[in-house]
Amino acid sequence: MMDFSRIRTLGLSPSSIAPIVTTVIILVVWQIASAMAWVPEYLLPSPLSIMKTIYIRREMLAVDTLITFYEIVASFLVAMAMGISLAMLVVRSRLFESAVYPLLVMSQAVPKVALAPLILIWFGFGLSPKIIIGALVAFFPILINTVSGIRSVEQDSIFLFQSMGARPWKMFLHLRFPTALPNIFGGAKVAITLAVVGAIIAEFIGANRGLGYVLIIANGMQDMRLLFAALTLISLLAVLCYWVISFIESMVLDWHVSTRGAHGHGTA
Amino acid sequence: MNELAWADTRLAAVGGTSDVRQATRFASGRDPSPQGEAIASPPAIELESISKLFRTKNGTVLALDDINLTVEAGEFISIIGPSGCGKSTLLTITGGLVLPTSGKTSVFGAEVRRPVTDVGIVFQKDLLLDWRTVLQNVLLQAEMRGMDMEQAKVRARQLLKSVGLGDFENARPWELSGGMRQRVGLCRALLHDASLLLLDEPFGALDALTRDQINLDLERLWSAESRTALLITHSISEAIFLSDRVIVISPRPGRIIADVRIDLDRPRGLHMRKLERYAEYEDHLRRLIMPSSGGESV
Repeated sequence: MMDFSRIRTLGLSPSSIAPIVTTVIILVVWQIASAMAWVPEYLLPSPLSIMKTIYIRREMLAVDTLITFYEIVASFLVAMAMGISLAMLVVRSRLFESAVYPLLVMSQAVPKVALAPLILIWFGFGLSPKIIIGALVAFFPILINTVSGIRSVEQDSIFLFQSMGARPWKMFLHLRFPTALPNIFGGAKVAITLAVVGAIIAEFIGANRGLGYVLIIANGMQDMRLLFAALTLISLLAVLCYWVISFIESMVLDWHVSTRGAHGHGTA
Repeated sequence: MNELAWADTRLAAVGGTSDVRQATRFASGRDPSPQGEAIASPPAIELESISKLFRTKNGTVLALDDINLTVEAGEFISIIGPSGCGKSTLLTITGGLVLPTSGKTSVFGAEVRRPVTDVGIVFQKDLLLDWRTVLQNVLLQAEMRGMDMEQAKVRARQLLKSVGLGDFENARPWELSGGMRQRVGLCRALLHDASLLLLDEPFGALDALTRDQINLDLERLWSAESRTALLITHSISEAIFLSDRVIVISPRPGRIIADVRIDLDRPRGLHMRKLERYAEYEDHLRRLIMPSSGGESV
Protein backbone atom coordinates (compact mmCIF):
# COMPACT_ATOMS: atom_id res chain seq x y z
CA MET A 1 0.00 0.00 0.00
CA MET A 2 2.85 2.39 0.67
CA ASP A 3 5.53 3.32 -1.79
CA PHE A 4 8.40 5.18 -0.21
CA SER A 5 10.23 5.78 -3.45
CA ARG A 6 7.62 8.48 -3.95
CA ILE A 7 9.26 10.66 -1.33
CA ARG A 8 12.03 11.49 -3.75
CA THR A 9 9.67 12.84 -6.36
CA LEU A 10 7.97 15.19 -3.88
CA GLY A 11 10.93 17.56 -3.62
CA LEU A 12 12.14 18.32 -7.07
CA SER A 13 9.62 17.81 -9.85
CA PRO A 14 9.11 20.78 -12.21
CA SER A 15 5.53 21.23 -10.98
CA SER A 16 6.68 21.70 -7.40
CA ILE A 17 9.51 24.08 -8.35
CA ALA A 18 7.13 26.49 -10.10
CA PRO A 19 5.40 27.81 -6.94
CA ILE A 20 8.78 28.17 -5.21
CA VAL A 21 10.01 30.33 -8.09
CA THR A 22 6.85 32.45 -7.89
CA THR A 23 7.35 32.91 -4.15
CA VAL A 24 10.97 33.95 -4.60
CA ILE A 25 10.00 36.52 -7.25
CA ILE A 26 7.33 38.02 -4.97
CA LEU A 27 9.79 38.20 -2.07
CA VAL A 28 12.46 39.88 -4.22
CA VAL A 29 10.01 42.48 -5.57
CA TRP A 30 8.72 43.07 -2.03
CA GLN A 31 12.25 43.48 -0.72
CA ILE A 32 13.12 45.94 -3.50
CA ALA A 33 9.91 47.89 -2.86
CA SER A 34 10.81 48.21 0.82
CA ALA A 35 14.44 49.08 0.14
CA MET A 36 13.44 51.81 -2.31
CA ALA A 37 11.01 53.07 0.35
CA TRP A 38 8.00 52.77 -2.01
CA VAL A 39 6.07 51.47 0.99
CA PRO A 40 6.89 52.71 4.50
CA GLU A 41 8.48 50.18 6.84
CA TYR A 42 5.88 50.87 9.58
CA LEU A 43 3.11 49.62 7.28
CA LEU A 44 4.87 46.81 5.45
CA PRO A 45 8.23 45.67 6.76
CA SER A 46 10.59 44.08 4.26
CA PRO A 47 10.98 40.29 4.05
CA LEU A 48 14.55 40.52 5.31
CA SER A 49 13.59 42.53 8.38
CA ILE A 50 10.79 40.06 9.12
CA MET A 51 13.26 37.19 8.89
CA LYS A 52 15.64 39.13 11.12
CA THR A 53 12.89 39.59 13.71
CA ILE A 54 12.10 35.88 13.62
CA TYR A 55 15.78 35.16 14.14
CA ILE A 56 16.22 37.62 17.02
CA ARG A 57 13.08 36.43 18.80
CA ARG A 58 13.58 32.82 17.87
CA GLU A 59 13.44 31.41 21.39
CA MET A 60 10.16 33.10 22.28
CA LEU A 61 8.61 32.44 18.85
CA ALA A 62 9.68 28.79 18.83
CA VAL A 63 7.70 28.15 22.01
CA ASP A 64 4.66 30.01 20.66
CA THR A 65 4.86 28.15 17.38
CA LEU A 66 5.06 24.80 19.14
CA ILE A 67 2.06 25.64 21.31
CA THR A 68 -0.03 26.68 18.33
CA PHE A 69 1.14 23.66 16.37
CA TYR A 70 0.13 21.40 19.24
CA GLU A 71 -3.32 23.02 19.38
CA ILE A 72 -3.80 22.62 15.64
CA VAL A 73 -2.78 18.96 15.60
CA ALA A 74 -4.79 18.10 18.71
CA SER A 75 -7.94 19.85 17.51
CA PHE A 76 -7.57 18.25 14.09
CA LEU A 77 -7.29 14.78 15.61
CA VAL A 78 -10.26 15.40 17.88
CA ALA A 79 -12.20 16.69 14.84
CA MET A 80 -11.32 13.55 12.87
CA ALA A 81 -12.45 11.29 15.70
CA MET A 82 -15.66 13.30 16.17
CA GLY A 83 -16.42 13.55 12.46
CA ILE A 84 -15.82 9.90 11.63
CA SER A 85 -17.62 8.47 14.65
CA LEU A 86 -20.61 10.79 14.18
CA ALA A 87 -20.68 9.78 10.51
CA MET A 88 -20.72 6.11 11.48
CA LEU A 89 -23.65 6.79 13.80
CA VAL A 90 -25.52 8.70 11.10
CA VAL A 91 -25.08 5.89 8.59
CA ARG A 92 -25.66 3.10 11.11
CA SER A 93 -28.76 4.38 12.90
CA ARG A 94 -31.86 5.75 11.23
CA LEU A 95 -32.98 7.22 14.55
CA PHE A 96 -29.72 9.10 15.00
CA GLU A 97 -29.87 10.27 11.41
CA SER A 98 -33.39 11.65 11.69
CA ALA A 99 -33.08 12.99 15.25
CA VAL A 100 -29.56 14.38 15.47
CA TYR A 101 -28.10 14.81 11.99
CA PRO A 102 -30.36 17.75 11.04
CA LEU A 103 -29.36 19.48 14.29
CA LEU A 104 -25.69 18.97 13.50
CA VAL A 105 -26.21 20.48 10.07
CA MET A 106 -28.22 23.39 11.45
CA SER A 107 -25.68 24.02 14.19
CA GLN A 108 -23.26 24.97 11.44
CA ALA A 109 -25.34 28.11 10.93
CA VAL A 110 -24.11 29.34 14.32
CA PRO A 111 -20.79 31.09 13.77
CA LYS A 112 -18.49 29.00 15.94
CA VAL A 113 -16.21 31.97 16.45
CA ALA A 114 -19.06 33.52 18.40
CA LEU A 115 -19.08 30.50 20.70
CA ALA A 116 -15.40 30.87 21.53
CA PRO A 117 -15.84 33.28 24.50
CA LEU A 118 -18.42 30.95 25.98
CA ILE A 119 -16.16 27.91 25.66
CA LEU A 120 -13.32 29.86 27.29
CA ILE A 121 -15.57 30.65 30.25
CA TRP A 122 -16.62 27.01 30.52
CA PHE A 123 -13.21 25.43 30.11
CA GLY A 124 -10.81 28.04 31.43
CA PHE A 125 -7.59 29.35 30.00
CA GLY A 126 -5.55 26.18 29.44
CA LEU A 127 -4.99 24.41 26.14
CA SER A 128 -8.20 22.38 26.22
CA PRO A 129 -10.60 25.24 25.30
CA LYS A 130 -8.41 26.02 22.26
CA ILE A 131 -8.51 22.41 21.20
CA ILE A 132 -12.28 22.28 21.69
CA ILE A 133 -12.82 25.44 19.64
CA GLY A 134 -10.49 24.18 16.91
CA ALA A 135 -12.24 20.81 16.81
CA LEU A 136 -15.71 22.41 16.71
CA VAL A 137 -14.67 24.57 13.79
CA ALA A 138 -13.00 21.69 11.93
CA PHE A 139 -15.14 18.56 12.41
CA PHE A 140 -18.04 19.42 10.12
CA PRO A 141 -16.41 18.88 6.70
CA ILE A 142 -15.09 15.54 7.95
CA LEU A 143 -18.57 14.50 9.07
CA ILE A 144 -20.28 15.51 5.83
CA ASN A 145 -17.63 13.93 3.62
CA THR A 146 -17.46 10.71 5.58
CA VAL A 147 -21.24 10.29 5.50
CA SER A 148 -21.39 10.71 1.74
CA GLY A 149 -18.34 8.48 1.33
CA ILE A 150 -19.80 5.62 3.33
CA ARG A 151 -23.11 6.05 1.49
CA SER A 152 -21.41 5.77 -1.89
CA VAL A 153 -20.88 2.03 -1.37
CA GLU A 154 -22.75 0.11 -4.04
CA GLN A 155 -25.70 -2.04 -3.04
CA ASP A 156 -24.29 -5.02 -4.93
CA SER A 157 -21.03 -4.76 -2.98
CA ILE A 158 -23.03 -4.98 0.23
CA PHE A 159 -24.86 -8.01 -1.18
CA LEU A 160 -21.53 -9.58 -2.07
CA PHE A 161 -20.20 -9.16 1.47
CA GLN A 162 -23.46 -10.45 2.93
CA SER A 163 -23.22 -13.54 0.76
CA MET A 164 -19.75 -14.10 2.22
CA GLY A 165 -21.29 -14.05 5.69
CA ALA A 166 -19.23 -10.97 6.60
CA ARG A 167 -19.90 -9.55 10.05
CA PRO A 168 -20.97 -5.87 10.03
CA TRP A 169 -17.68 -4.65 11.49
CA LYS A 170 -15.74 -6.61 8.89
CA MET A 171 -17.87 -5.07 6.19
CA PHE A 172 -17.14 -1.65 7.66
CA LEU A 173 -13.42 -2.30 7.83
CA HIS A 174 -13.01 -3.89 4.42
CA LEU A 175 -15.68 -2.14 2.37
CA ARG A 176 -17.32 0.97 3.79
CA PHE A 177 -14.29 2.60 5.37
CA PRO A 178 -11.87 2.13 2.43
CA THR A 179 -14.58 3.26 0.02
CA ALA A 180 -15.07 6.41 2.12
CA LEU A 181 -11.34 7.13 2.49
CA PRO A 182 -10.99 9.46 -0.53
CA ASN A 183 -13.89 11.52 0.82
CA ILE A 184 -12.48 11.43 4.34
CA PHE A 185 -9.19 12.84 3.08
CA GLY A 186 -11.07 15.51 1.16
CA GLY A 187 -12.77 16.50 4.42
CA ALA A 188 -9.49 16.29 6.33
CA LYS A 189 -7.81 18.78 3.99
CA VAL A 190 -10.54 21.32 4.60
CA ALA A 191 -10.55 20.50 8.31
CA ILE A 192 -6.84 21.09 8.81
CA THR A 193 -7.08 24.65 7.47
CA LEU A 194 -10.11 25.23 9.69
CA ALA A 195 -8.21 23.85 12.68
CA VAL A 196 -5.58 26.53 12.12
CA VAL A 197 -8.30 29.21 12.06
CA GLY A 198 -9.86 27.75 15.22
CA ALA A 199 -6.58 27.70 17.14
CA ILE A 200 -5.68 31.29 16.21
CA ILE A 201 -9.16 32.58 17.09
CA ALA A 202 -9.07 30.82 20.45
CA GLU A 203 -5.70 32.39 21.16
CA PHE A 204 -7.03 35.82 20.18
CA ILE A 205 -9.72 35.61 22.76
CA GLY A 206 -8.03 34.14 25.77
CA ALA A 207 -4.43 33.01 25.82
CA ASN A 208 -1.06 34.03 27.16
CA ARG A 209 1.00 32.00 24.69
CA GLY A 210 0.78 30.95 21.07
CA LEU A 211 1.10 32.72 17.72
CA GLY A 212 -2.44 34.13 17.90
CA TYR A 213 -1.52 35.74 21.21
CA VAL A 214 1.71 37.13 19.66
CA LEU A 215 -0.41 38.65 16.88
CA ILE A 216 -2.64 40.44 19.38
CA ILE A 217 0.31 41.69 21.43
CA ALA A 218 2.22 42.86 18.34
CA ASN A 219 -0.90 44.61 17.15
CA GLY A 220 -1.30 46.37 20.48
CA MET A 221 2.32 47.53 20.42
CA GLN A 222 2.12 48.44 16.72
CA ASP A 223 5.15 46.20 16.23
CA MET A 224 4.70 45.46 12.54
CA ARG A 225 7.80 43.30 12.27
CA LEU A 226 6.67 41.01 15.07
CA LEU A 227 3.17 40.95 13.62
CA PHE A 228 4.47 39.87 10.24
CA ALA A 229 6.82 37.41 11.89
CA ALA A 230 3.85 35.74 13.61
CA LEU A 231 1.83 35.82 10.38
CA THR A 232 4.68 34.18 8.50
CA LEU A 233 4.98 31.40 11.06
CA ILE A 234 1.21 30.80 11.09
CA SER A 235 1.18 30.54 7.31
CA LEU A 236 4.13 28.16 7.32
CA LEU A 237 2.41 26.03 9.96
CA ALA A 238 -0.79 25.89 7.92
CA VAL A 239 1.08 24.95 4.75
CA LEU A 240 3.09 22.30 6.57
CA CYS A 241 -0.02 20.72 8.09
CA TYR A 242 -1.80 20.67 4.74
CA TRP A 243 1.25 19.19 3.07
CA VAL A 244 1.53 16.43 5.66
CA ILE A 245 -2.12 15.46 5.10
CA SER A 246 -1.68 15.45 1.32
CA PHE A 247 1.41 13.34 1.70
CA ILE A 248 -0.34 10.77 3.90
CA GLU A 249 -3.19 10.79 1.41
CA SER A 250 -0.93 10.01 -1.52
CA MET A 251 0.62 7.14 0.47
CA VAL A 252 -2.62 5.62 1.69
CA LEU A 253 -4.71 6.20 -1.43
CA ASP A 254 -2.17 4.99 -3.96
CA TRP A 255 -4.98 2.88 -5.39
CA HIS A 256 -7.33 5.80 -5.98
CA VAL A 257 -7.96 7.41 -9.38
CA SER A 258 -6.81 10.80 -8.09
CA THR A 259 -3.32 9.59 -7.21
CA ARG A 260 -2.58 6.51 -9.27
CA GLY A 261 -1.64 8.21 -12.56
CA ALA A 262 0.86 10.61 -11.04
CA HIS A 263 3.21 8.03 -9.65
CA GLY A 264 4.09 5.89 -12.60
CA HIS A 265 1.65 3.04 -11.99
CA GLY A 266 0.59 1.40 -15.18
CA THR A 267 -2.93 2.21 -16.23
CA ALA A 268 -5.03 -0.12 -18.29
CA MET B 1 1.74 -33.25 3.88
CA ASN B 2 -1.90 -32.71 4.47
CA GLU B 3 -1.77 -29.53 2.50
CA LEU B 4 -0.19 -31.22 -0.48
CA ALA B 5 -2.80 -33.90 -0.62
CA TRP B 6 -5.49 -31.27 -0.41
CA ALA B 7 -3.90 -29.28 -3.23
CA ASP B 8 -3.80 -32.37 -5.43
CA THR B 9 -7.50 -33.00 -5.12
CA ARG B 10 -8.24 -29.38 -5.97
CA LEU B 11 -5.96 -29.47 -8.96
CA ALA B 12 -7.70 -32.52 -10.32
CA ALA B 13 -11.04 -30.85 -9.82
CA VAL B 14 -10.05 -27.64 -11.58
CA GLY B 15 -8.59 -29.56 -14.48
CA GLY B 16 -11.90 -31.25 -15.07
CA THR B 17 -10.41 -34.73 -14.78
CA SER B 18 -12.66 -35.81 -11.96
CA ASP B 19 -14.87 -38.21 -13.87
CA VAL B 20 -16.77 -39.30 -10.79
CA ARG B 21 -17.96 -35.81 -10.07
CA GLN B 22 -18.92 -35.31 -13.69
CA ALA B 23 -20.89 -38.50 -13.73
CA THR B 24 -22.79 -37.54 -10.59
CA ARG B 25 -23.73 -34.23 -12.06
CA PHE B 26 -24.89 -35.75 -15.29
CA ALA B 27 -27.08 -38.21 -13.48
CA SER B 28 -28.80 -35.53 -11.44
CA GLY B 29 -28.69 -32.65 -13.89
CA ARG B 30 -29.47 -34.23 -17.21
CA ASP B 31 -32.27 -36.53 -16.27
CA PRO B 32 -35.56 -34.88 -15.28
CA SER B 33 -36.23 -37.64 -12.78
CA PRO B 34 -33.07 -38.05 -10.76
CA GLN B 35 -32.13 -41.58 -9.82
CA GLY B 36 -29.96 -43.29 -7.24
CA GLU B 37 -28.41 -41.20 -4.49
CA ALA B 38 -29.77 -37.96 -5.93
CA ILE B 39 -33.31 -38.91 -4.87
CA ALA B 40 -32.51 -38.31 -1.21
CA SER B 41 -31.02 -34.83 -1.71
CA PRO B 42 -33.41 -31.87 -1.75
CA PRO B 43 -33.50 -29.58 -4.79
CA ALA B 44 -30.82 -26.88 -4.85
CA ILE B 45 -33.33 -24.10 -5.29
CA GLU B 46 -37.06 -24.13 -4.71
CA LEU B 47 -39.10 -21.03 -5.39
CA GLU B 48 -42.75 -21.33 -4.42
CA SER B 49 -45.16 -18.68 -5.72
CA ILE B 50 -42.68 -15.85 -5.32
CA SER B 51 -44.04 -12.35 -5.87
CA LYS B 52 -42.26 -9.07 -5.41
CA LEU B 53 -43.83 -5.62 -5.19
CA PHE B 54 -41.70 -2.52 -5.34
CA ARG B 55 -42.96 0.73 -3.90
CA THR B 56 -41.92 3.73 -5.98
CA LYS B 57 -42.97 7.38 -6.08
CA ASN B 58 -45.53 6.56 -8.75
CA GLY B 59 -47.17 3.77 -6.80
CA THR B 60 -46.38 0.09 -6.59
CA VAL B 61 -44.81 -2.01 -9.32
CA LEU B 62 -45.28 -5.75 -9.50
CA ALA B 63 -41.82 -6.97 -10.49
CA LEU B 64 -42.35 -10.71 -10.10
CA ASP B 65 -45.66 -12.50 -10.19
CA ASP B 66 -46.14 -16.01 -8.84
CA ILE B 67 -42.79 -17.54 -9.79
CA ASN B 68 -42.50 -21.29 -9.25
CA LEU B 69 -39.17 -22.88 -10.04
CA THR B 70 -37.27 -25.95 -8.92
CA VAL B 71 -33.59 -26.35 -9.69
CA GLU B 72 -32.03 -29.74 -9.04
CA ALA B 73 -28.60 -29.99 -7.47
CA GLY B 74 -25.92 -29.87 -10.14
CA GLU B 75 -28.06 -28.17 -12.76
CA PHE B 76 -26.98 -25.11 -14.69
CA ILE B 77 -30.01 -22.89 -15.15
CA SER B 78 -30.24 -19.66 -17.11
CA ILE B 79 -32.95 -17.08 -16.75
CA ILE B 80 -33.48 -14.83 -19.72
CA GLY B 81 -35.96 -12.10 -20.41
CA PRO B 82 -36.19 -8.47 -21.50
CA SER B 83 -34.60 -5.81 -19.33
CA GLY B 84 -36.68 -4.78 -16.37
CA CYS B 85 -38.51 -8.11 -16.13
CA GLY B 86 -37.25 -8.65 -12.59
CA LYS B 87 -34.77 -11.41 -13.36
CA SER B 88 -32.04 -9.82 -11.23
CA THR B 89 -34.55 -9.48 -8.39
CA LEU B 90 -35.21 -13.18 -8.70
CA LEU B 91 -31.49 -13.83 -8.17
CA THR B 92 -31.26 -11.60 -5.11
CA ILE B 93 -34.34 -13.28 -3.66
CA THR B 94 -32.78 -16.70 -4.23
CA GLY B 95 -29.65 -15.51 -2.44
CA GLY B 96 -31.71 -14.25 0.48
CA LEU B 97 -30.42 -10.74 -0.13
CA VAL B 98 -33.87 -9.33 -0.83
CA LEU B 99 -37.05 -10.70 0.71
CA PRO B 100 -40.00 -11.51 -1.54
CA THR B 101 -43.33 -9.82 -0.88
CA SER B 102 -44.90 -13.24 -0.75
CA GLY B 103 -43.88 -16.82 -1.39
CA LYS B 104 -41.26 -19.15 -0.06
CA THR B 105 -37.64 -19.67 -1.05
CA SER B 106 -35.62 -22.74 -0.12
CA VAL B 107 -32.00 -23.47 -0.89
CA PHE B 108 -30.89 -27.07 -0.41
CA GLY B 109 -34.03 -27.74 1.58
CA ALA B 110 -33.56 -24.91 4.06
CA GLU B 111 -35.98 -21.98 4.00
CA VAL B 112 -34.21 -18.73 3.15
CA ARG B 113 -34.75 -15.95 5.69
CA ARG B 114 -31.35 -14.24 5.63
CA PRO B 115 -28.50 -14.03 3.10
CA VAL B 116 -27.47 -17.48 1.92
CA THR B 117 -23.76 -17.98 2.55
CA ASP B 118 -23.08 -21.34 0.89
CA VAL B 119 -22.97 -19.42 -2.35
CA GLY B 120 -20.62 -17.66 -4.75
CA ILE B 121 -22.00 -14.59 -6.51
CA VAL B 122 -20.81 -12.69 -9.56
CA PHE B 123 -22.61 -9.46 -10.40
CA GLN B 124 -22.56 -7.49 -13.64
CA LYS B 125 -20.01 -5.13 -12.13
CA ASP B 126 -16.94 -7.04 -11.00
CA LEU B 127 -16.97 -5.12 -7.66
CA LEU B 128 -13.25 -5.64 -7.21
CA LEU B 129 -11.73 -3.62 -4.40
CA ASP B 130 -9.22 -1.17 -5.87
CA TRP B 131 -7.08 -1.13 -2.73
CA ARG B 132 -6.41 -4.86 -2.98
CA THR B 133 -4.27 -6.77 -5.45
CA VAL B 134 -5.83 -9.39 -7.70
CA LEU B 135 -4.86 -12.19 -5.31
CA GLN B 136 -6.10 -10.27 -2.27
CA ASN B 137 -9.39 -9.66 -4.05
CA VAL B 138 -9.89 -13.38 -4.61
CA LEU B 139 -8.85 -14.05 -1.01
CA LEU B 140 -11.44 -11.60 0.32
CA GLN B 141 -13.86 -14.52 0.18
CA ALA B 142 -11.62 -16.56 2.48
CA GLU B 143 -10.95 -13.66 4.86
CA MET B 144 -14.64 -12.89 5.37
CA ARG B 145 -15.38 -16.54 6.00
CA GLY B 146 -12.42 -17.12 8.29
CA MET B 147 -11.06 -19.90 6.08
CA ASP B 148 -7.53 -21.26 6.39
CA MET B 149 -5.56 -18.61 4.53
CA GLU B 150 -2.64 -20.79 3.44
CA GLN B 151 -4.92 -23.33 1.78
CA ALA B 152 -7.05 -20.56 0.33
CA LYS B 153 -3.96 -18.96 -1.19
CA VAL B 154 -3.03 -22.21 -2.93
CA ARG B 155 -6.55 -22.55 -4.27
CA ALA B 156 -6.73 -18.89 -5.34
CA ARG B 157 -3.49 -19.20 -7.30
CA GLN B 158 -4.79 -22.34 -9.06
CA LEU B 159 -8.01 -20.61 -10.00
CA LEU B 160 -6.23 -17.51 -11.30
CA LYS B 161 -3.88 -19.69 -13.29
CA SER B 162 -6.76 -21.69 -14.74
CA VAL B 163 -8.31 -18.52 -16.19
CA GLY B 164 -4.99 -17.26 -17.52
CA LEU B 165 -4.28 -14.72 -14.79
CA GLY B 166 -1.43 -16.58 -13.10
CA ASP B 167 1.01 -13.75 -13.79
CA PHE B 168 -1.32 -11.05 -12.54
CA GLU B 169 -1.82 -11.96 -8.89
CA ASN B 170 0.02 -8.84 -7.72
CA ALA B 171 -1.60 -6.49 -10.21
CA ARG B 172 -4.17 -3.96 -9.08
CA PRO B 173 -7.68 -4.22 -10.54
CA TRP B 174 -7.39 -0.98 -12.50
CA GLU B 175 -4.44 -2.38 -14.39
CA LEU B 176 -6.63 -5.12 -15.88
CA SER B 177 -9.07 -5.13 -18.78
CA GLY B 178 -12.78 -5.63 -18.21
CA GLY B 179 -12.64 -9.31 -19.15
CA MET B 180 -9.70 -9.95 -16.84
CA ARG B 181 -11.45 -8.15 -13.99
CA GLN B 182 -14.57 -10.24 -14.41
CA ARG B 183 -12.43 -13.40 -14.40
CA VAL B 184 -11.00 -12.32 -11.06
CA GLY B 185 -14.58 -11.88 -9.83
CA LEU B 186 -15.32 -15.40 -11.03
CA CYS B 187 -12.32 -16.80 -9.15
CA ARG B 188 -13.48 -15.00 -6.02
CA ALA B 189 -16.91 -16.64 -6.36
CA LEU B 190 -15.37 -20.10 -6.83
CA LEU B 191 -12.70 -19.93 -4.11
CA HIS B 192 -14.71 -21.53 -1.31
CA ASP B 193 -16.31 -24.31 -3.34
CA ALA B 194 -19.84 -23.19 -2.62
CA SER B 195 -22.64 -25.51 -3.66
CA LEU B 196 -24.49 -22.71 -5.43
CA LEU B 197 -23.26 -20.22 -7.99
CA LEU B 198 -25.37 -17.12 -8.63
CA LEU B 199 -24.42 -15.13 -11.73
CA ASP B 200 -26.20 -11.85 -12.36
CA GLU B 201 -25.45 -10.85 -15.97
CA PRO B 202 -21.77 -11.21 -15.19
CA PHE B 203 -20.53 -10.87 -18.74
CA GLY B 204 -23.04 -8.33 -20.05
CA ALA B 205 -20.50 -5.53 -20.24
CA LEU B 206 -17.88 -7.54 -22.13
CA ASP B 207 -17.21 -7.66 -25.85
CA ALA B 208 -18.27 -10.76 -27.75
CA LEU B 209 -14.82 -12.35 -28.06
CA THR B 210 -13.99 -11.94 -24.38
CA ARG B 211 -17.41 -13.20 -23.52
CA ASP B 212 -16.94 -16.40 -25.52
CA GLN B 213 -13.64 -17.03 -23.80
CA ILE B 214 -15.08 -16.47 -20.33
CA ASN B 215 -18.06 -18.67 -21.14
CA LEU B 216 -15.65 -21.48 -21.99
CA ASP B 217 -13.74 -20.85 -18.73
CA LEU B 218 -16.94 -20.86 -16.74
CA GLU B 219 -18.27 -24.04 -18.31
CA ARG B 220 -14.97 -25.81 -17.63
CA LEU B 221 -14.74 -24.60 -14.03
CA TRP B 222 -18.37 -25.35 -13.32
CA SER B 223 -18.34 -28.87 -14.75
CA ALA B 224 -15.22 -29.67 -12.74
CA GLU B 225 -17.26 -29.36 -9.55
CA SER B 226 -20.71 -30.62 -8.77
CA ARG B 227 -22.19 -27.18 -8.43
CA THR B 228 -25.57 -25.72 -9.10
CA ALA B 229 -25.54 -22.53 -11.09
CA LEU B 230 -28.18 -19.88 -11.72
CA LEU B 231 -27.27 -17.44 -14.47
CA ILE B 232 -29.19 -14.29 -15.27
CA THR B 233 -28.49 -13.13 -18.80
CA HIS B 234 -30.03 -11.31 -21.73
CA SER B 235 -27.95 -13.24 -24.20
CA ILE B 236 -29.86 -16.17 -25.69
CA SER B 237 -26.71 -17.69 -27.12
CA GLU B 238 -24.89 -17.54 -23.78
CA ALA B 239 -27.86 -19.12 -22.04
CA ILE B 240 -27.94 -22.06 -24.47
CA PHE B 241 -24.19 -22.49 -24.41
CA LEU B 242 -23.97 -22.81 -20.65
CA SER B 243 -27.27 -24.25 -19.48
CA ASP B 244 -29.10 -27.47 -18.88
CA ARG B 245 -32.34 -25.51 -18.75
CA VAL B 246 -33.29 -22.03 -19.91
CA ILE B 247 -36.14 -20.24 -18.15
CA VAL B 248 -37.84 -17.45 -20.07
CA ILE B 249 -39.45 -14.62 -18.12
CA SER B 250 -42.04 -12.23 -19.51
CA PRO B 251 -41.87 -8.43 -19.35
CA ARG B 252 -43.17 -6.84 -16.15
CA PRO B 253 -44.74 -8.32 -14.20
CA GLY B 254 -42.19 -11.11 -14.51
CA ARG B 255 -43.76 -14.53 -15.02
CA ILE B 256 -42.19 -17.75 -16.19
CA ILE B 257 -43.40 -18.31 -19.73
CA ALA B 258 -41.16 -21.17 -20.79
CA ASP B 259 -38.78 -23.75 -19.38
CA VAL B 260 -36.59 -25.13 -22.18
CA ARG B 261 -34.30 -28.10 -21.66
CA ILE B 262 -31.01 -27.81 -23.59
CA ASP B 263 -29.83 -31.18 -24.80
CA LEU B 264 -26.22 -30.63 -25.83
CA ASP B 265 -23.18 -32.65 -24.83
CA ARG B 266 -20.75 -31.58 -22.15
CA PRO B 267 -18.19 -30.22 -22.18
CA ARG B 268 -19.53 -27.62 -24.54
CA GLY B 269 -17.39 -26.08 -27.25
CA LEU B 270 -17.76 -23.07 -29.47
CA HIS B 271 -18.22 -25.39 -32.49
CA MET B 272 -21.59 -26.41 -31.06
CA ARG B 273 -22.97 -23.06 -32.08
CA LYS B 274 -22.88 -24.32 -35.66
CA LEU B 275 -25.12 -27.27 -34.81
CA GLU B 276 -28.60 -27.23 -36.25
CA ARG B 277 -30.03 -27.99 -32.82
CA TYR B 278 -28.27 -24.94 -31.38
CA ALA B 279 -29.83 -22.74 -34.02
CA GLU B 280 -33.23 -24.26 -33.33
CA TYR B 281 -32.94 -23.55 -29.63
CA GLU B 282 -31.86 -20.02 -30.41
CA ASP B 283 -34.76 -19.49 -32.78
CA HIS B 284 -37.26 -21.02 -30.36
CA LEU B 285 -36.11 -18.87 -27.43
CA ARG B 286 -36.03 -15.72 -29.52
CA ARG B 287 -39.64 -16.29 -30.54
CA LEU B 288 -40.59 -16.76 -26.88
CA ILE B 289 -38.91 -13.53 -25.82
CA MET B 290 -39.99 -11.47 -28.79
CA PRO B 291 -43.26 -12.76 -30.21
CA SER B 292 -42.93 -11.56 -33.80
CA SER B 293 -46.65 -11.14 -34.35
CA GLY B 294 -47.45 -9.53 -31.01
CA GLY B 295 -47.25 -5.83 -30.32
CA GLU B 296 -44.79 -6.40 -27.49
CA SER B 297 -41.68 -4.34 -28.03
CA VAL B 298 -38.52 -5.20 -26.18
